[in-house]
Amino acid sequence: MLVRVLGYFLSEAAVSLRRSWKVSLVAIVTIAMSLFIGGTFLLLTANLSRVVENWRGEARIVIYLAADGLAKEDSLALLLASEPPWVTAVEEVSAAEARSRFETTFPSVRELFKDWEEEPLPPSLEVAFDTQGVEAERLDQWLTALRSDPSVLMVDDDRDWLQQLEALIAILTALGAVVGLALLTAAVFTIASVIRLTAYLYRDEIEVMRLVGATELFIRGPFYVEGTFQGLLGGVLAVAGLFVGYLLLNPKASTTFLGNVLVDRFLSPGALISILLFGSLAGLLGAVLSLRREELGQ
Amino acid sequence: MIQFLHVGKAFPGGRSALEDVCFHLERGEFAFLSGASGAGKTTLLKLIYREIEPNSGQILVNGRNVASIPRAKVPFLRRTIGVVFQNFRLISRKTVLENVSYLPRILGMSQQERKRLAYNTLRRVGLAHRMSAFPSELSGGEQQRVTIARALINRPEILIADEPTGNLDPELSWEILRLFLEINGKGTTVLLATHEHSYVQALGGRSLVLDRGRLVKDEYVEGHVGDIESDSAEKAKDRRRTSTERTA
Repeated sequence: MLVRVLGYFLSEAAVSLRRSWKVSLVAIVTIAMSLFIGGTFLLLTANLSRVVENWRGEARIVIYLAADGLAKEDSLALLLASEPPWVTAVEEVSAAEARSRFETTFPSVRELFKDWEEEPLPPSLEVAFDTQGVEAERLDQWLTALRSDPSVLMVDDDRDWLQQLEALIAILTALGAVVGLALLTAAVFTIASVIRLTAYLYRDEIEVMRLVGATELFIRGPFYVEGTFQGLLGGVLAVAGLFVGYLLLNPKASTTFLGNVLVDRFLSPGALISILLFGSLAGLLGAVLSLRREELGQ
Repeated sequence: MIQFLHVGKAFPGGRSALEDVCFHLERGEFAFLSGASGAGKTTLLKLIYREIEPNSGQILVNGRNVASIPRAKVPFLRRTIGVVFQNFRLISRKTVLENVSYLPRILGMSQQERKRLAYNTLRRVGLAHRMSAFPSELSGGEQQRVTIARALINRPEILIADEPTGNLDPELSWEILRLFLEINGKGTTVLLATHEHSYVQALGGRSLVLDRGRLVKDEYVEGHVGDIESDSAEKAKDRRRTSTERTA
């Protein structure tokens, strides 16, 4: 019985979609656009979050020193020797090595240092750390002590800009959610208008259905399925659009920093299912809203 | 079977469509509901299948007070009443078979069951050979017979018809009336609204006459045209006479 009723809903919805395909297409494209834009934000923030997570694992505290070589009795050496629990490794980078690294990373400007008599970059200590389970206050106190040490020029904490990146991701996520939701709301109302229009086209038929004894669920069911179907198709279109965009941009991912950060990987299956689910729910909501307001001529 | 107890219906704006209408239609009875246009015939029929609700009085259909049926249960009431409309109200995009088998579909019958039932019902109204046609491909008389088949498919105890011959030429009208008599001959209670008083006079039977919302006549009329040929129609005529005498 239930299978037959569902079969009836599906076949009637398919007929209706075919019959009024132009208005249905408007609804499908509207929902696809909103999901595409929301999905784009999702893609960007997912890639960015993944990169930040990787960077977090490689984050360092870099202590720039006034001169090469630390004597064992130096206060800084003593500070590091106290082996605070968050320090996992310390690597000394001499001034010469710092210049060598710079020249490797930026080969186009290596000529700049050619005639310099002194080393242009200070020596440093790169401290790998793991902040899990460590009170932020203790760590900050330790950093303050480092910064006030006379042999230290500057302390560069990677966590500072990682926090800024995380703030940027949060802003992007919020912006994506706001824009996506606003567009999705517009799409819901578009679907509602389309379903209302379809219901209006079928008003005589609905009256006959009601008079021969059809229940409200039986009358509304095909419209609910039609709305859900429109939303789902919009979701499929959005996913297809996102994938095409990804395929076009991904080859640049390995060659450019931005590409690597933004389109290195496609959305996860969970995110894709969410997009389809959001589309379907938006379609169903549009259908429910439109039929509630119209009450189908009752 | 159908009982009206002091029923009144007024539309917004205060226009009174029915006033203090009382009558009782027995099971298996055939009655004409006549009156001029605007007399309240359609309103009275709509009250029976609860398309509208009365402002006063009570309507009992099969012993149930129609006005007190919860809104969600109204479809179940309608499934027990076959309704035939003047303007056919067929679904133009569906075939004759699909139009007729709509109610079985609602009831969850399989496609095979639906087809068999629709075929048998269409054969009853002489249209089994037009199952695949669309309403637009049928004549007015054929369309009305499809409407009757749709109304009959669930074997309703009551069949009500609102000006079923209103859009048909005289020859087709008699054909449809004959069909109603045959249906009544098999035990279905029939209430047929018409503004053509000549049908009542020709066929005879229970006659309810409305005038500006009031039931002004409820009588048995002796028919004077020996036009009804089939046995079942003769039986129906006898049945009508008997039930009217019983009511009187």
